[in-house]
Amino acid sequence: MLYREAGQFKTNYRDDMAVFPILQDRIGILIILIIAFAVVPFVGNNFLLHAIMIPFLVFALATIGLNILTGYTGLLSLGTGGFMGVGAYACYKLTTTFPDVNVLVWVICSGFFSAAIGVVFGLPSLRIKGFYLAVATLASQFFLQWCFIRIPWLVNYNLSNAIEVPRRSLFGIPVTGPEATPQTRYFVVLTIVVLMTWIASNLVRGRIGRMWMAVRDMDIAAELMGVRLLNTKLLAFAVSSFYCGVAGALLVFLYYGSAEATAFSINQSFAVLSMVIVGGLGSLLGSFLGAALIFTLPILLPHFMAGLGLPIQSATAEHISFMIVGALIIFFLIVEPHGLARLWQIAKQKLRVWPYPY
Amino acid sequence: MRAPDDTTIKAGQTLLSVENVSLSFGGVKAIRGVSFDIKKGEIRAIIGPNGAGKTSMLNVINGFYHPQEGQITFKGVKRKKMRPNDAANGGIARTFQNVALFRSMTTLDNIMAGRTLKMHSNFFWQLWRYGPAEREEIEHRHKVEEIIDFLEIEHIRRVPVGRLPYGLQKRVELGRALAMEPELLLLDEPMAGMNLEEKEDMCRYIIDVNNHFGTTIALIEHDMGVVMDLANRVIVLDYGQKIADGTPDEVKANKAVIDAYLGVAH
Repeated sequence: MLYREAGQFKTNYRDDMAVFPILQDRIGILIILIIAFAVVPFVGNNFLLHAIMIPFLVFALATIGLNILTGYTGLLSLGTGGFMGVGAYACYKLTTTFPDVNVLVWVICSGFFSAAIGVVFGLPSLRIKGFYLAVATLASQFFLQWCFIRIPWLVNYNLSNAIEVPRRSLFGIPVTGPEATPQTRYFVVLTIVVLMTWIASNLVRGRIGRMWMAVRDMDIAAELMGVRLLNTKLLAFAVSSFYCGVAGALLVFLYYGSAEATAFSINQSFAVLSMVIVGGLGSLLGSFLGAALIFTLPILLPHFMAGLGLPIQSATAEHISFMIVGALIIFFLIVEPHGLARLWQIAKQKLRVWPYPY
Repeated sequence: MRAPDDTTIKAGQTLLSVENVSLSFGGVKAIRGVSFDIKKGEIRAIIGPNGAGKTSMLNVINGFYHPQEGQITFKGVKRKKMRPNDAANGGIARTFQNVALFRSMTTLDNIMAGRTLKMHSNFFWQLWRYGPAEREEIEHRHKVEEIIDFLEIEHIRRVPVGRLPYGLQKRVELGRALAMEPELLLLDEPMAGMNLEEKEDMCRYIIDVNNHFGTTIALIEHDMGVVMDLANRVIVLDYGQKIADGTPDEVKANKAVIDAYLGVAH
């Protein structure tokens, strides 16, 4: 009843192929966007904006990146942390070398550096698949992290051997560095993430997305349709790494403020991979849901426990959240391999026929 | 449908010729010196007992396997070694013995994927799904809907093909191959595992494809009734060798063919 598409007739293929063909979905996404742009930054306090919303959006972007590679193209990668690092270090080098150019331009440009590195490490993907490819990307993870630690040129020979984000502004308003308010940073991150999500949805719904999914589902048949396997896989690596690179740059410039090489360790790769799995392989919505669940759980858990009258120490909370996340991943792999996104699909179907069972 | 070019071959002329092709895997000789031709506009059946090398022959034709000896001429062009996507570019499409659909994609996306080669809008437009990218998507959707209409699969348009029954999957796979607007369509056991009704439907689609679109068809099938009714000419393979080639009636009367199928007392 609540979700009926009855009466919504499409008279041309353009409407039929829209992202949200159903009116209720369009209204829903509009409300979410209005809340995100106009309500959250003014109602939310600094804690909500800085500690939850900004990193959630950044991780959602990284998750979309990995989802393009693993969910849509079926290439398992453990190098996400490294690719995010490439974006962050590239952005730092660019903005310190050319300080007059707007930092947001460099945030986007750093994605291209990351994409190039991604293509190089994607080359083995033509010959090796599955776990073996995962190991190859693992090598890239360790190699890149080694570079971040051992090449002081990347951090301009800082004594701390870390990226220290300089102060940069946009239209006179500081967006990076200590003076930038959480509101400003939130707006910047939100705008970039919304824009890039829209672009990702364009890509995956079109010819390129179908080529990626064809390679994932049946590469032999895809080749027969005229899909060039190497080009398609490398394009997936490039786009995926681009997204991860931008996410890495945003993470350091608009969230951490300063970062050492350990910020891009294998743990980061695993975190993003678990967001993809829990959220749903091959779903953009799932990328957001997975990032929201895995990222906010450790933060909200102590508050939740305190609310129950069981105050726990932050270290304990961290351990508990590790256990919960681990259990969740196992649960999802067994019960619902398509993740939270699939649960939403099921819920939609239930809403559609409610109050009848079918 | 296709812009005519100089290499257009008229009905009745040889579209594809296979000359003296041999293929072996290590010590196993899958195909030994087979020659035959396929004429434009005909339905050509390849039959033979299990393991006779029928599927290997199709794999050679569309570039999955590279024969050690012999040569293949397609549309008057001899070819040395080629990749399957070159075959696709040249206008050869095929279906597989065990359905090779993109399982988690919908029927619509599967058939749209078949049109990949016909779509040319570049990456830049794809990013925004605007201008040429969007126009192209709509234009090809029209073509795909024609195929969906032709194969009567409107009701499963939005169903992921992994959830469809086998008979419908086979039909979607035919649709995906048709979306490439091939000149030569290779069908590897299109009727395996189907019931009588589904077989009759499939036969009708194959004949319609041949009549309406003028597509040349090479078909592997075990159901002799179907083969004898559909095919214009039949090749019989046994142990990788060609033992007969001719019209269905000639083949049916051929002593070697009967021996191969029924066995012969020594």
